[in-house]
Amino acid sequence: METSAIFEFRGISKRFFGIHALKDVSLVLRPGVVLGLVGENGAGKSTLMNIAGGVIPPDEGTMFLQGQLYRPLDPNEASRAGIGFIHQELNLFTNLSIAENIFLESFPRMRGLPFIDRRTLADTTRQLLASLNMDFSPSTKLEALAPGERQLVEIAKALSYESRIIIFDEPTTSLTAKERERLFSLIQRLRGEGKAIVYISHILGDVRALADEVAVLRDGELVANAPVADLRIDRMITLMIGRDFDNIFPAKTSRPGQKTILKVDALSQTGIARNISIEVHAGEVLGVFGLMGSGRTETARMIFGLDEYETGTITVGDSVLPARDPVAAIRGGMAFVTENRREEGLLMNVSISDNLGLVSLAEFSRRFGGIVDRKRLREAVGRIGAELRIKSGSYERLNAKSLSGGNQQKVVIGKWLMTRPRVLIMDEPTRGIDVGAKFEVYTIMNELASQGTGILFISSEVEELMGICDRIVVFSRGEIIRDFPRHEFSQERIMRSAFRQEDAAVLDA
Amino acid sequence: MSRSINAVRDFVLKNSTIVLFVALFVFFGVVAPRFFSGKNITNIFSNASYIGIVGVGMTFVLLTGGIDLSVGSTMYVSAVVAGLVVNQLGLPIGLGLAACLLVGLVFGLINAFIITRLNVVPFIATLTTMLAGRGFGLMLTKSVAVNFPDSLTLLATVDVFGFFPIEVVIFLAVVFAAALYLRSTTGGRRIYAVGNDIEIAKKAGIRTTPVVASTYVICALCAALGGFISIAEMGRVNADFGKGEEFNAIAAAVLGGASLFGGIGTVFPGTLLGTVMIQMIQAGLVFSNVDVYKQEIVKALMIFLAVFIDSLRNSQLRKLGRRTIMRVSDSS
Amino acid sequence: MTLPPLAEWPRRAILSEYFVLILTVAYVLVLWPFIPWLLGQRNVGDILSNMWPLLAIAVGQTFVLVSAGIDLSQTSIMAVTSVIGAMIMTRGLDPVLFSKSPFWGIFLGEQGGPLAGSPAAVPVAILAMLLVGTIIGLGNGACVAFIRMPPFIVTLVSQLLFSAVAIFLTKSENIRHLPDEYLALGQGNLGIVPIAMIITVTLAVTAHVLMSRTAYGRRLYATGNNPVASRVSGVSTTRVIVSVYAISGFCAAIGSILYSARLEMGRPTLGSGQLLDIVGATVIGGVSLAGGKGKVTWTFFGVLFYVVLANTLNLLNLSFFTIDMVKGGVILFAALMDVMRTRAMAARN
Repeated sequence: METSAIFEFRGISKRFFGIHALKDVSLVLRPGVVLGLVGENGAGKSTLMNIAGGVIPPDEGTMFLQGQLYRPLDPNEASRAGIGFIHQELNLFTNLSIAENIFLESFPRMRGLPFIDRRTLADTTRQLLASLNMDFSPSTKLEALAPGERQLVEIAKALSYESRIIIFDEPTTSLTAKERERLFSLIQRLRGEGKAIVYISHILGDVRALADEVAVLRDGELVANAPVADLRIDRMITLMIGRDFDNIFPAKTSRPGQKTILKVDALSQTGIARNISIEVHAGEVLGVFGLMGSGRTETARMIFGLDEYETGTITVGDSVLPARDPVAAIRGGMAFVTENRREEGLLMNVSISDNLGLVSLAEFSRRFGGIVDRKRLREAVGRIGAELRIKSGSYERLNAKSLSGGNQQKVVIGKWLMTRPRVLIMDEPTRGIDVGAKFEVYTIMNELASQGTGILFISSEVEELMGICDRIVVFSRGEIIRDFPRHEFSQERIMRSAFRQEDAAVLDA
Repeated sequence: MSRSINAVRDFVLKNSTIVLFVALFVFFGVVAPRFFSGKNITNIFSNASYIGIVGVGMTFVLLTGGIDLSVGSTMYVSAVVAGLVVNQLGLPIGLGLAACLLVGLVFGLINAFIITRLNVVPFIATLTTMLAGRGFGLMLTKSVAVNFPDSLTLLATVDVFGFFPIEVVIFLAVVFAAALYLRSTTGGRRIYAVGNDIEIAKKAGIRTTPVVASTYVICALCAALGGFISIAEMGRVNADFGKGEEFNAIAAAVLGGASLFGGIGTVFPGTLLGTVMIQMIQAGLVFSNVDVYKQEIVKALMIFLAVFIDSLRNSQLRKLGRRTIMRVSDSS
Repeated sequence: MTLPPLAEWPRRAILSEYFVLILTVAYVLVLWPFIPWLLGQRNVGDILSNMWPLLAIAVGQTFVLVSAGIDLSQTSIMAVTSVIGAMIMTRGLDPVLFSKSPFWGIFLGEQGGPLAGSPAAVPVAILAMLLVGTIIGLGNGACVAFIRMPPFIVTLVSQLLFSAVAIFLTKSENIRHLPDEYLALGQGNLGIVPIAMIITVTLAVTAHVLMSRTAYGRRLYATGNNPVASRVSGVSTTRVIVSVYAISGFCAAIGSILYSARLEMGRPTLGSGQLLDIVGATVIGGVSLAGGKGKVTWTFFGVLFYVVLANTLNLLNLSFFTIDMVKGGVILFAALMDVMRTRAMAARN
């Protein structure tokens, strides 16, 4: 291990459900150095840090902390070893005070008595907060603090452990501009104190401003690790996206029609989305690209009626949909394949056929009393299963839980197709399924489009959007930045849009 | 205009206990000012003492998001055992009290075991302990009432410093000890942490099983103590002693601000005020000659009101947790 | 807690739908040599007549449990409907006992209730009972679905409230002198078949069809299994939740009709202490407390087992507190089985 290094990843690999999240990654952290860690969604950044932070174990490879073998069994061990991990989702208790959150497992005691020494606690906390330029009273309850302030408490907690390595995972997503500035000067200061810092972010401008070195991950592999001066933003982007196309796409046979099938007009909800306007035509596949956290799923949920919105109108065909009413949306011809099939898409402990028939149930129960026509349902379910090539044993005896990821996804899609929707919203429909199943999903989308369905395809993989879509809109921080028609498709340009790095001038920063 | 309504609503939800208490105070002050005689107030506190102690124990359980429906049966069995020890075995009252608390401990451990080790939902677990416990108690007494010697009832009439009834002193002592534990020990703070978010607590390295178990043990001990105090005043234990007391305890805690969803609540001032409020209402209803049957209805409505407010507050908290992507101040 | 892994045949038996039925039969066979009159005509008749009202109420509870809720107010609905129905049809009230009742002088008098002696008395009373039960259920459901109050607290508070109301209305007195036509419902026969059986079986069969064959039933299972995914799929989970509590209240009212007719009185304390019997019998049958799993047939097996158990405990001359302890133990056992079954199913997958 290099003498100047304080931490080393050596040959780290990790697989989830057979897919490589990390492949043979070797990286070194040095005291007083800020390492920027960048990569697309799913490139492996958080996974790598979770391994260092004791959240998950590596499948292969070893880690060294100050020259010693390091193998944490849980996050606690990692904290005590001096690794402070500021997660995106803060691990704090809202009903406890700042001081209590920081010192929950290490309260100062009164001499001889088992009681908390509140005065010492307050003093120590105040010192810690002062070093972060926070002038809150230590007894303030956490729920009274804004997200940016809560983050500082999390940092204070890391510092209280005298962490030598501090990892920041997408720290600025919920911060105001002022809070961001405060965070940056804090990071500079920590660096000056000799801490090793890892800064994970998709805001490349910030990374360039803060980091001394930058590491780029792509599909779980480390593709670059260099001083920041050597990596301009466009170079970073190029490194992030170039990959072997193992995705093959079926030939596009459909062309978008004239009629507008879905019209979203000036949709807004404070803090979530601003002025979203989208038009999908019959037979059109409209791609929605954006980095994680850019507001695509939230917007889709509002369009479908799961969440409320302040202003805007949603129109399917000729009818305006009422807000916050999924039943009306479905009746109007909308369908929504959600992002996480396990929690929102499927009833895991219910049979495959009942899952397939859930949305279109009304069609099969027109008889007296709402009795389900099981024969007709069975036939329809069988047809859809065959069309989508869902590979499984008996649909009626097996539960959704027994299916592979790809087949589960097909069940979700099949359930919606049974309603013959006019507009189909699909949120990351190929996530977590194998290449073969992905191809089948693309084929299904093509067929639907050629039959006149309008499709809103949300994805974090630019290539698949480029392979299937007629147009791509790019989301960033709750707004639509740009709209790319098919003849203008370019990986680099779309990516840059998402990173808000459009201007040539900015690229050379 | 709607913003000030929102502000008012938030204030009420956050400080529901104090608001209710003041409202009640004002109500009685206006409608029946003679209600506030010194003797009346003393009586209210005196009658509130035993259920207040049980309520303090219930608060612990509620703080971790659980519930204990077996406190009534715990009261009964521990009082019965104390009676047996004193009457049958002729042992001094002090040992009777010790036996009583021991029974409480056993009940608490049983509940803790079923809930944390066998993973049965708290309310089913304590519902069955309630049933089995009462059955056990009835078996011990053969449904006959148990009488206590005069020495005990005499003790109950003691006034500390010639002024404070002893049960009130014990009640306040329990409140003090519980408040101290909850506020100033690691164990107490861990209870709040676990109640707030058990997953984050586990991630923080807290061993949640002993924390949850301790709340059921404390609750049962308090029930035993409360039961002992109650029978010390009455002098005898009937076959249906303690029946329904779980609701009074829950009401005292929830009216005092404890949330059924966990993580929120205090014994001081919370449960203390809650207990006094319930007693005030009870006494007030008696004072105003409202018949007994209506009193039960009023009590049920009060609990409903308390839970209603708690649920509203919980929904509010959840809505505020909705993720934000862009800050309002950001413009590009 | 890590329980030891099961051998194959016990696991199969436990996971089988008919486990409880098998258990009941085994239990009876084991005890029969010791109490031969267990299967005598009179005892069997006893068992069955205890079964019908309990089954009717448990059917309602089944709906609520499948929706991942619970209804602890059924016994108080029994009490309040018993009282209200009796007040409408009673043909004579003792002024000494009832003059303090709030309705004395308005609806009630020495000659009975408002419809005393009228042929419409019984139908109206029954209608009123069913209506009150359903409305209370709707109230419960609304609190759970719209205000998001936890089901067990809502129904627990309802329980307190309506028990108090029942006692308040009659000042704790039982109402007698009910018309014979009404008593026939609980005690009479149509040919050789008890009317109570006809009513309960009709209710159970309808419930079974509703749950297993209709769109409503599918939506119910979906809601109980995963309310979020159900909502995304267009199921109106609020409507489902409100409806199950209404059904539960309705069934409690039916049970009240049968019990009150058998006891020949309107009782403000009807059902007191039976809460655990109802929930316990349903859970023993295999209906899961976690929701999404359960059938009316399972409840039938559970109620049968429970009634047989209670009957045998009586026959064995055990003191009633021992009986309570055994019952408590059995319910705990059922809850444990529920946990174990869920785990066994997860392991199988």
